[in-house]
Amino acid sequence: MKKMMCAGMAVTMALSLTACGGGNSTSTSGTGESSAAADGSATTLTIWQPSDKESIENWWVEKLDEWNAAHPDIQVSRIAIDRSDSYAYDNKVATAVTSNDLPDILFVDGPQVSYYAANGITVPITKYFEDTSDFVDSTVAECTYDGELYAISATESSVALYYNKDYLTECNYDISKLESYTAENPMTWSEFEELAKQCTTDSYVGTHIVMDHGEGLPYALEPMYISNGKDYISDDGSTAQGYVNSPEAVETTAFLAGLIAKGYANVDPITDEFLNGACATEIQGSWDVTVLEDAAFEWGVTYYPVSDKTGTPVSPCGDWAAAVTNNCSNVDAAGEFLQWLMSTENVASYAAAISKPASRTSAYEDPSMAVYQDYPLSVFVEELRNSASPRPRTPSYATFSADYAEAMTNIFAEAASNGAVEESYIQEQLDNVAASFEEDYNTYYAQ
Amino acid sequence: MSKKIQLSPRKKDEQVAAYVFSIPAVFLLVAFMVVPMIYTIYYSVFQYQVMRPNDISFIGIANYIKLFADSDFWLALKNTVYFTIIVVPVQCALALALAMLVSKKFRGVSIFRTMYFSPQLTSMVVISVLWTVLYNSNPNTGLINSILAGMGMEPINFLSNPKTAMNAIIFMSAWQGAGYQMMIFLAGLQGIPGEQYEAASVDGATPVQRFLYVTLPNLKGTIVYVITITMIQAMKLFTQPYVMTQGGPQNATKTMVYYIYTQGFQKGNFGYACSAAAVFFVIVVAMSLIMQKITADA
Repeated sequence: MKKMMCAGMAVTMALSLTACGGGNSTSTSGTGESSAAADGSATTLTIWQPSDKESIENWWVEKLDEWNAAHPDIQVSRIAIDRSDSYAYDNKVATAVTSNDLPDILFVDGPQVSYYAANGITVPITKYFEDTSDFVDSTVAECTYDGELYAISATESSVALYYNKDYLTECNYDISKLESYTAENPMTWSEFEELAKQCTTDSYVGTHIVMDHGEGLPYALEPMYISNGKDYISDDGSTAQGYVNSPEAVETTAFLAGLIAKGYANVDPITDEFLNGACATEIQGSWDVTVLEDAAFEWGVTYYPVSDKTGTPVSPCGDWAAAVTNNCSNVDAAGEFLQWLMSTENVASYAAAISKPASRTSAYEDPSMAVYQDYPLSVFVEELRNSASPRPRTPSYATFSADYAEAMTNIFAEAASNGAVEESYIQEQLDNVAASFEEDYNTYYAQ
Repeated sequence: MSKKIQLSPRKKDEQVAAYVFSIPAVFLLVAFMVVPMIYTIYYSVFQYQVMRPNDISFIGIANYIKLFADSDFWLALKNTVYFTIIVVPVQCALALALAMLVSKKFRGVSIFRTMYFSPQLTSMVVISVLWTVLYNSNPNTGLINSILAGMGMEPINFLSNPKTAMNAIIFMSAWQGAGYQMMIFLAGLQGIPGEQYEAASVDGATPVQRFLYVTLPNLKGTIVYVITITMIQAMKLFTQPYVMTQGGPQNATKTMVYYIYTQGFQKGNFGYACSAAAVFFVIVVAMSLIMQKITADA
């Protein structure tokens, strides 16, 4: 009897301990469940997406309930995954690939579309989106790999220069100058540096550069490189040699590092540095417009600065896009769901809820998108239409992103420590990025 | 000829119970330590891109050759060893000092014990975030630089200067970890018979002599244990650089575990990361054995 009790307790303990491993930091949306789903005859699809602010979480609950009620044969649920840092979501996906545990529909960041497509993690969805003319070119370009559409995004993004009007006036900076810039004729780097210099004081730095030590860096800074004459990677996505480590790229990086070396930007900025009144300007995404609604000062937005040398306006773009994985139980059902998800009406309400520009031109006719006709959001839409350039489409983007972010962090730290820019160090760091890219591409993807 | 020992029925029952109760621990150990370790060694001889689990190829010791030629690997190892060499003695000495302090009987001693132990009850992620703010170079935000500015000193870029970043992490880690070792030392101190101190006092021993000739010899086992576990914990340093510096600036805080993580997950070189993990496992085991040998001989 005693032995049986001991054995029983041991089994119970083992079960309870193993059960402890089941939790993860996710939340699920989609509460409705039809009778077909309940009796097991329906196709069930699961979506993974990084968790976002409350308005978009609520949007998903409402929309999935609507879909599930209308489609008893295709039941969809969504798992919102915490994105504690720039690469946390990608790590989760990588783990799921290893354990063959991918969902049916996976949201992937724009530049990662090629990475997942080249590795066969996602499948083409071209036949469900044969007419993409209503989507902005940058979205279609970013979601296409090897001639096939592998993902589709409801929203776009862009980056521009925010400025604190009150503080700039205090610094005797002529605001009308900033207001006179246009999408075709934006502020130049030298004008930008002059502004930053004039507005750097004991309490403020002149500007803020994205310092997320992750994908934010290549995303927000790429237009500077293109504007100065060279992108990070070749157009065919096969090489970084002579691109990210080109003389033009070194010059661009030196300009950015110079802002830190001269004290015009912080190497370890506080959270929400601009909102908290610690910097005069910031290079930041369109999503900050809603964040700044509660700002205690007047602010404005102007177009992304351009290289003095070329004067070519370039702006970032790209957003998270929905893709169908190779683990999907019913690709046609997933395609049907995505067609509905990307309808003009849904794109408009989704974009409004997540505070990002819509990827469909027709969505801007929806009343919820009316704010994008007016300043300041119109600046981002103008950039998207005139100067948006998607990040490199290459299967080695994951390696590039991590290495570039590390190199830039090193370069900025060196500039901050020495108070000067060492071009040879920049060259060395960018050479490392190029070499690492070449190795990854040649090992896994070169024909 | 050996004689078989006959156990009483009660002893046999106890032996069976011991085996049965150890099943969950053995199961967990095998499932989460032994099996992953075997898999790690297995995959270390393959070219394995994490996104291509069905397309792995045997490449022998190529990953190991590449690893030993990688300057980042040696830098990560150097940083890890530096952290360990500094943090182990500092943290253990601090823990012993605190333990001796709170082993005295005085009013409110339990409050001090709780205070010193409390950082252990907080997640390392939370502590790292808090200290990132404390270390911020802007005196308006970073408390430490605010104090320095108050004293008329220039602000220090604690986490963005390669010369100070690792030391800043060491200081924070020692502060956070000392409370746990303090509790172990405290248990060890309470096990020392009071008569030994009385006898030493009668013989005219000074407090320093009592510490050297009574406390330390009696704590030998505890010290060996504390140093070993602190060293193993230190070698596994990851959370602090991950949250506070992302391995920078200029790779000054890139540790072995962080290196393995970036290779395996950010870059997807799973086979290569496995080879780094296997080498690191051997290094940790070797260092643990050396440390035990040194401390046991001492």
